[in-house]
Amino acid sequence: MTFAFPKVLVASAVIALGIGTQAMATECIAPANPGGGWDFTCRQVGKILYDLKLVDQPVQVTNMAGGGGGLAFNYVVNERNTDPDLIVAASSATTTRLAQKAYGDARADQVRFVGAIGADPGVIVVAADSPYQTLTDLVEAIKADPGSVAFAGGSAAGGFDHMKPLQILKAAGFTDITKVKYIGVDGGADAITQTVGGFTQAMTGDMSEVVGFLKSGDIRVLAVLSEERVPGFEDIPTAREQGYDVVAVNWRGFYVPGGITDEQFNTWADRLRAVADSDEWKKAMADNGLAPFTKVGPDFQNWVNDVIAQTEELSREIGVIQ
Amino acid sequence: MDILSNLALGFSVALSPWTLFLAVIGCFLGTIIGALPGLGPSNGVAILIPITFSLGLDATAALVLLTSVYYGAMYGGRISSILLNIPGDEPAMMTTLDGYPMARAGRAGEALVISGVASFVGAFLATVALALVAPYLARIAYRFGPAEYFALYALAFATLGGMTSNNQAKAALASFIGLALALIGLDNNSGFTRFTGGNLHLADGIDFLVAIVGLFAVSEVFFFIESHGRESALGVRLGKLVIPWGEIWSTRWTMLRSSVVGFIAGVLPGAGASLGSFMTYMMEKGIAGEKGGFGTGVAKGVAAPEAGNNAAAGGALVPMLTLGVPGSGTTAVLLAVLMTLNITPGPTLFADRPEVVWGLIAALLIANFVLLLMNVPMVRIFVRVLTVPPAILLPGVTMISFVGIYSLSGSYFDLLLMVGFGVMGYVFRKMDIPTVPVILGILLGYQMENNLRHAMTLSGGDWTYLFSSPIAIGLWVAAILGFVAPMFLRRFLRRPSVAEADRIVD
Amino acid sequence: MIRSDRLFGLVAVLAALAYIASAWNLPPGNMFDALGPRAFPIIVGCGVLISALAMILRPDPEPDWPGLPTLASLALATVVLVGYAYALKPLGFLLPTAIAAGILSWQISGRPGLAAATGIGLSVGLFVIFRYALGLGLFALPRALAG
Repeated sequence: MTFAFPKVLVASAVIALGIGTQAMATECIAPANPGGGWDFTCRQVGKILYDLKLVDQPVQVTNMAGGGGGLAFNYVVNERNTDPDLIVAASSATTTRLAQKAYGDARADQVRFVGAIGADPGVIVVAADSPYQTLTDLVEAIKADPGSVAFAGGSAAGGFDHMKPLQILKAAGFTDITKVKYIGVDGGADAITQTVGGFTQAMTGDMSEVVGFLKSGDIRVLAVLSEERVPGFEDIPTAREQGYDVVAVNWRGFYVPGGITDEQFNTWADRLRAVADSDEWKKAMADNGLAPFTKVGPDFQNWVNDVIAQTEELSREIGVIQ
Repeated sequence: MDILSNLALGFSVALSPWTLFLAVIGCFLGTIIGALPGLGPSNGVAILIPITFSLGLDATAALVLLTSVYYGAMYGGRISSILLNIPGDEPAMMTTLDGYPMARAGRAGEALVISGVASFVGAFLATVALALVAPYLARIAYRFGPAEYFALYALAFATLGGMTSNNQAKAALASFIGLALALIGLDNNSGFTRFTGGNLHLADGIDFLVAIVGLFAVSEVFFFIESHGRESALGVRLGKLVIPWGEIWSTRWTMLRSSVVGFIAGVLPGAGASLGSFMTYMMEKGIAGEKGGFGTGVAKGVAAPEAGNNAAAGGALVPMLTLGVPGSGTTAVLLAVLMTLNITPGPTLFADRPEVVWGLIAALLIANFVLLLMNVPMVRIFVRVLTVPPAILLPGVTMISFVGIYSLSGSYFDLLLMVGFGVMGYVFRKMDIPTVPVILGILLGYQMENNLRHAMTLSGGDWTYLFSSPIAIGLWVAAILGFVAPMFLRRFLRRPSVAEADRIVD
Repeated sequence: MIRSDRLFGLVAVLAALAYIASAWNLPPGNMFDALGPRAFPIIVGCGVLISALAMILRPDPEPDWPGLPTLASLALATVVLVGYAYALKPLGFLLPTAIAAGILSWQISGRPGLAAATGIGLSVGLFVIFRYALGLGLFALPRALAG
């Protein structure tokens, strides 16, 4: 009973100040500092969830940077495993790291992947004055001399951006993929800067990262790694059309704690579908170079499982994991 | 004129009673957040993002508020540097070197006024430069590859020899320790972690904020426990505050030079405000020579880093706006804000969204003037901090530091690290080992290695690649000069003269 | 007599050797990464080693270390701060802050009354500022109690 007193005191203080507690609000964890894709996903989707009245109160965004998302993952598994009011921003980076055991002992099946509501298609880019006109030019140059082309990308070596050119080269029958030069710099824009500056010969990244530079004429996009050409950028060919069967999109979505009920899981899946169908989200996607890519509920979970299996295989091949 | 009509457009967007009100609020909050150790400009901006949403601010209003907080925090960082020897944020660490000795001599008010004016000059010139040359300047970033950045960092470390006059080995040791700590964590080039002992908390490396708050703030508490507050600036009898016009005027060239160097450091995405304030301080120290009395509490010693870091803050907006490359943690947050407002920075931003760019520039100018007007009269209030009994102030600062660091990641582990750095800071300062090089090492170490490795990857292991461009060679020459010059100068100037030389009016 | 600089230099030498050894044992990294993950840490470790040796060979005059009672009270302060770091999350903000701030205040001033008032005042005051003015997600009390 001794503890009851301060609790009452604080409760009355809160009421007196006219400020509600945030404990009941839906929370979205962005497992990174403000400024990245996960933060964008949380803030934008959180805003739309509230605007569409899918949740009662503004969604509280918590930034929990650490371990490339591993800290947040372990936190959710260990401390919030049954919380139905929690979503966590995720993307291809999440599944890549899970596949590569980068989150310690964490496994993908400890949480439930509830949905993706947009995707940033992968791109392979060269500077406007580059001699490489098509993806085939680039691939042939690497086949002839693996050291002649260095890629810059925004992810670490072995990360998603690094995987994209390797998948293409593998599809082209080139097996010596460990010799392909790659430098991981501080984000996609930095990778473009290095490529336009001539320090690297090509950039691997996401569509959204290159839009501004494409408009200004500094770069040429050799291929987009989506299934179809991207609306608004119809003149950019897919890798598939050029004979390399590679699809690599950086999806934007969420996972939820593993211990919630199927009903709660389906509620989230429905909410995300509603967000994906909203005009506000469509506009946000268009403004940020995202292509439509909606997969929610059990469908999404199965798709994620497949992607993780594939990533694991490729990572083993290039020696990122044993 | 084109610029003028653009600026008029900017002011027509950004200037209204409502935005002025927001600017005042933002500047005030920013100054306070900047002054609190552990809470820097990036926290300030991040904290305010949800507020801009819940207030339903439009893009311009949100930009005015956030840039006010950004510049406000850059101004505010100096306050605790000068009064408490605890930098409010990392670029302000150089301001402790002369600001705190000034406060101990009872000249806290003068130090605050001079540094406030220097902040204004740096930020103002940077904003003007941003308006005039940003689109052209952005091209500089294209000239800097791995080799150039590596040479730039080498230049920063080469000037460290001039840091302390007694024992060069200690300055070197401190910077190597900083570099060694910086390499802890995930290695982006190989994909595995190094020196973490398997600890997931260390996988992202050591946050330099943890180090700086530990080394400066927590160690300060230990000193107070030892001395019970004697020898500090607390309780020192303050002289009557008159604005030191003479001293301000005597630092005019320092402010101008520092603004230029700081701005350029800000424009380079790999450098940033901390490197800007460091380089300007070392440059001015070199120019003044031993007679300048840097480190003993001279006006130029607070004017240089403050003009430098505020100019860098403006400079950092250049690559952020024109390339979408954030040059610092804070600009990364601002970038995120722009994106959520559906503004995508990049090479076409100036052409596509002039009202945003020029509105932002106008907002920066407004914030700058508000800050100057607010800061100089407020010096009287700030110095009151020194009249708070240490037994209240120091525990307060410690708790603020803990919360500031805790708010970064919400992990107890960072707090433990911070206490560890506190003990380290105490021992280092007792043994006369400078702590600034440790911070510099932690700030730059990872980038330095990364760029060296990238250079080697691109060249296939050919070392001459590091010296293969005119910019790289120029930086190497400067580094060698910076390393060698103090040694020769010391030989010629055997007898360091008294610090009084630089104080014109007192 | 052993000088502090020599002792510190020795500790730094040992730490540097451990660091270099740890770097030496790292896996080689990617084939295209010409420098690899070991080289730079080894260079830095050697830098620590050389400057630490210089400290051992040319030590400065002995710094002015405090006496045993002061060292004991510094150790207490460290323990308090470490305890605070562990307590902040499970016990909420108010209680640990009041205790830690109170003890530090008492250590600086030696006045228990002032210290108690400082502890309680700071704990409540800072909580209000951080929670409501700056909007940080702090918990006042143990989460189980606050519901």
